[in-house]
Amino acid sequence: MTAFIKSFSIKKRDFVRAGEASINVQNILKSLNMDHKLIRRIAICGYEGEMNAVMHGGDGILTVEIDTGRIILDIADNGDGIENIELAMQKGYSTATEEHREMGFGAGMGLPNMKVNSDMLSVESEKGKGTHLHMEFYVSTD
Amino acid sequence: MHASADTIYSSHYVIFDADICTGCANCIKACPTKAIRLYNDNPTCLTDNCIRCGECLRVCPTGAISTTTYELEALQKDKVSITLVSPVLYSQFKGVMPNDILLAVKKIGFHHVMDLSYYIEMFLYAAEEYIAENRTTGQSPWPLISPVCPVVIRLIAYQFPNLLPHLMPIMRPISLLAKEARANISREYRIKKDAVILYHLTPCPAKTVPSRSSFAQENSLVDRTMGIKDVYAQIIGRLNQMKKTGIEALREESEPQKISGNCLLWGLSGGEIAGINSDKTLAVSGLRETITYLEKIELGLFKDIEYIEFRTCPEGCVGGALNAVDKYIAKNTVLKMLRKFGLERLIPRDKVLLLYENGWGLSDTTQDELQRIFGVYKEHISIEHLNEIEKILEQIQGKDCAACGAPDCRTFAEDVVMGKAVLNDCILLRKREIDKILENK
Repeated sequence: MTAFIKSFSIKKRDFVRAGEASINVQNILKSLNMDHKLIRRIAICGYEGEMNAVMHGGDGILTVEIDTGRIILDIADNGDGIENIELAMQKGYSTATEEHREMGFGAGMGLPNMKVNSDMLSVESEKGKGTHLHMEFYVSTD
Repeated sequence: MHASADTIYSSHYVIFDADICTGCANCIKACPTKAIRLYNDNPTCLTDNCIRCGECLRVCPTGAISTTTYELEALQKDKVSITLVSPVLYSQFKGVMPNDILLAVKKIGFHHVMDLSYYIEMFLYAAEEYIAENRTTGQSPWPLISPVCPVVIRLIAYQFPNLLPHLMPIMRPISLLAKEARANISREYRIKKDAVILYHLTPCPAKTVPSRSSFAQENSLVDRTMGIKDVYAQIIGRLNQMKKTGIEALREESEPQKISGNCLLWGLSGGEIAGINSDKTLAVSGLRETITYLEKIELGLFKDIEYIEFRTCPEGCVGGALNAVDKYIAKNTVLKMLRKFGLERLIPRDKVLLLYENGWGLSDTTQDELQRIFGVYKEHISIEHLNEIEKILEQIQGKDCAACGAPDCRTFAEDVVMGKAVLNDCILLRKREIDKILENK
């Protein structure tokens, strides 16, 4: 059986449409009758990743891959990149600008939130080139 | 359309008149749960997906869609009939005092007519108390969601089960009143509780059919519901009669009910949070807006808000599909009346708090029950189906025109995959085929 794969584009600095990709993913997962707690974890991760791409990224792509036992979220952008990944993984650490904070973002919880809500998270990033987030979620069989 | 008592208790909420229906697809596109189809010129509502929001009634340009309401002829047979009046009723008659309206309703043939003021205030106190409690206990996640609008409850249980824990577990005012009214009247007349027939006069399209939900026990408490527009003419008639015979004498006959400004305000969007002493509240109205907000809450936003009042009808309950008067005119009537009534409370806080501490007013419907009632009716698809759906979508390259009879291309593709529609119904595909034939000529 082939997995279901679909990609959504993320536009930089488009705060109005930010979250749309995650909502789309969420609706697809809902139509599959997946456990709603799992869906929420995936949606939160998708949203955090999407917001990162909107704020710091250039344009990006969110790809979801759905298989029977596993769901993969890939969020890649060609934006600022992360200088120090270890630091970025710490709760409360943020490089958000004043503008972002005024809009209520930039609490420094993005990556920590993704770490907590995903079963596997890997971050690849190069300063000035972009960031690639890879998250996996496992579907329990019981 | 009026229906007999038998059909009222059936599950069909929306009734289509296929003779009047022009197939314009307005309702198909407006339905938030994508429950309406028009395959083979035959409009149908997938009852299990219907959350009774009334949006289709609102957008139908020809009046081909109606909902069941109650026939008043049955009234004479009732031993003791009581009507519980939604405060929105007062907004439908400009310049008429609420107590005169209540008198006119009673004259239609009810033994008692009851106003909701006290119970709205009790609800507000209880809500405030729950919010304050939640600040220390954290028993429910922020933001709490108002349990008042029945469509919101169904929407959450059906489409956003993750948000069930956000619903504030307090019984809504109408349920509180119904419970008390039945008990008191049966005691007063010394008759059995089920000999008391409770009517609810309401603008709410969601309440006209006893729902599958017993959230806050509403069903078991109200026996029959009537849409305001269905008795509007009768009330106007009675009011005119009263004017002729002298309204003053009639007023003396019956004890006036105390009506508070909070009760009048209740029908407007924001009327609920206006009475709640927290700064971190929001009032959202309209179906689309409500869905957008629920989606955002599900993504983890609005954690800094304590309480959100949702009303799926535009402008709040004054925008209810079963009102007789336009929502903006109704809104004006309420706001002008408010200048007379003010927002002073009728009951002291301590009295309600004592009741609240003893567990009064807490809803006994569990989240699991709600999900069981609403959440299981959707047909679910597999990953293979998803791939097939994508393939069809690529083939159609559609514009969500709804000419096929489904609300959008994705839903159509889903129906095709599930064997409920045929691909050939897509007019874009057919047009391309014809173009090809013409080219090859």
